[in-house]
Amino acid sequence: MRFKDLPIQKKLMRYILLISGIVLLVTCGSYFVYEYFTFRETTMQKLSTIGKVIAANSTAALAFDNSADAEEILLALKTEPHIIAASLYNEKGQLFSTYPAGLPADKFPVRPTWDGYLFLHSNLEGFEPVIQGNKRLGTLYLRSDLKEMNERLRLFGIIATMVLAVSFLLAYSLSRILQKKISKPILDLASIAQMISGHHDYSVRATKSGNDEMGSLTDAFNQMLAQIDEQNKALNAFNQNLEQMVQERTLELETVNKELESFSYSISHDLRAPVRAIHGYMNIFSEEYGRQVDEEGKRLIQMILTNGYKMGRLIDDLLAFSKLGRKELLKTKVSMHEIVSGCWNELYKEEKDRNVEFMLKTLPEAYAERSTIQQVWINLISNALKYTKNKPVVVIEISGEEKSGEIVYSIKDNGSGFDMEYYSKLFGVFQRLHSQEEFEGTGVGLAIVQRVLEKHGGKIWAEGKVDEGAVFYFSLPAIKQ
Amino acid sequence: MKRFIKKIYFICLAFILIYGTAVKAQPPTAMEKQVKAVFLFNFTQFTEWPANAFSSPEAPLVIGILGDDPFGKYIDEVIAGEKANNHPLVVKRYSSEEDIKNCHVLFINISESNKQKQVLSGLKNEGILTISDQSTFLKQGGMIRFFTKDNKIQFQINPDAVKSDNLIISSKLLRLASIYKSDKK
Repeated sequence: MRFKDLPIQKKLMRYILLISGIVLLVTCGSYFVYEYFTFRETTMQKLSTIGKVIAANSTAALAFDNSADAEEILLALKTEPHIIAASLYNEKGQLFSTYPAGLPADKFPVRPTWDGYLFLHSNLEGFEPVIQGNKRLGTLYLRSDLKEMNERLRLFGIIATMVLAVSFLLAYSLSRILQKKISKPILDLASIAQMISGHHDYSVRATKSGNDEMGSLTDAFNQMLAQIDEQNKALNAFNQNLEQMVQERTLELETVNKELESFSYSISHDLRAPVRAIHGYMNIFSEEYGRQVDEEGKRLIQMILTNGYKMGRLIDDLLAFSKLGRKELLKTKVSMHEIVSGCWNELYKEEKDRNVEFMLKTLPEAYAERSTIQQVWINLISNALKYTKNKPVVVIEISGEEKSGEIVYSIKDNGSGFDMEYYSKLFGVFQRLHSQEEFEGTGVGLAIVQRVLEKHGGKIWAEGKVDEGAVFYFSLPAIKQ
Repeated sequence: MKRFIKKIYFICLAFILIYGTAVKAQPPTAMEKQVKAVFLFNFTQFTEWPANAFSSPEAPLVIGILGDDPFGKYIDEVIAGEKANNHPLVVKRYSSEEDIKNCHVLFINISESNKQKQVLSGLKNEGILTISDQSTFLKQGGMIRFFTKDNKIQFQINPDAVKSDNLIISSKLLRLASIYKSDKK
């Protein structure tokens, strides 16, 4: 686990232990260094003092060339066990007497080399001049081992290690207790935050532990909670209000829509009879009196008949369109493949002479009202046939597949297509992207298709490019297993 | 019993003294002369004179020789340029005790015992460190006597005589010397 991801308690503990450890180490280390240098200095001074005393005592022995006495004087060094060797040199620098008695002469410097003391190898050694008055009588050599110093440093090391261990243990146990003072409010706050996000209960408040930063954080947290609570309430109230408003508006719209539908239905219905009458009587007129009018009259009669027929169809379509809004659907499981084949055969029968390549893929079944879905296909297929009229080679392809909860059917042609710029007008009632002269039609077909699919809980959309063809897609909810 | 031991002690002492005189009787070698000259010099280093023994802090410390000079040039070589407690060292040779003035160390080379005794009593309380080779020297109130033992020149000191003349001989010097105790005590 990375340090970043450790719980805050462990982090605090580690920091405390790290800090106290470093502080202890630095303290002990500096004491150790201080002790080391102080002891070196002391050892050197001590040896120098001993040297001075011995040197002062040995003046007469050197002056009167009495090496036995000199040896006796050096023997006094017995009381300083760390002095492992000492020797006296006469004025000429010749070895005069040595200590301890058994040590061979080659263990001593051949002649004095310098005045003063030096740490050499693991010893402290040096030369002390033997002076009487202002006359140098000879030199004293002293060699001290550093056992005492090493012993003392070892003792210091042991004590320091023990102090370190005890202090560290103390720091550990203290930090275990004291870190809770810091971490507990944080952990409490964290658990409350978790509880709130888990239960979405914003009425809970954290308890303040003190007036420090954690206290102000708790205050801020509680304030935030209060704000969230308030905002939630306001939002809920607003939502409820909105829902009510939407419902009201929907109701209003539905009423208006229904009124409009019944209005258009009754208009279409009421218009149909007079138009039929006009068309019917004009037919009779044409048959009965057609021979009695001149050519111009015949042309006008034909015009009236054509337009009357058109108007009749327009009203029929309009009626069919407005009927859709009024009827409840009678849904069954329908074989789309069968419906599409039937529609194609019916529609293509009338245009047998055209060269059309029809490709029908396997289509999934749908749960829909057979008659209205048939109308959808008739409209879409007849559109495809209509808008490919000008093409020498026509390819129409119908396919369908189920994906993510819905079935998408498509019909693709290579006809005159449409400009995507006018896509928004494609499914509007009486909206046409082509002129009546180019392609005849009322502009109700796709509107009916859209209406039917909407009622089935489906959708229609299309892609097209001028003179290159169009693809119409529509979706229906997949059959629930 | 104690007396008996004391008697033996004195017999032994007499023997040593006679033996020492016997050695002394031989003419001193150059080496011996040199060593004695150095010792003479060294005595000035380990002896303190009372402050009134010098007219000034830089006044010379005089090493006198009464009688025949046994050191010859050696003593002059040894003390050349040397000082004792800031007093330059000077050697003076005296032919008779009347000439002795402002002297601090005196080597007395008088073989005749009575004469020596007379000289010593004349020098009492003069603050002069007296030195000799003669075996009777300390007994007659002399301070330091040279003798030879184990082929080495050594010296004997009479601390009472030194003390009564207000001289202080360093304990370091005393360590090296054999101590003479007068039988008066």
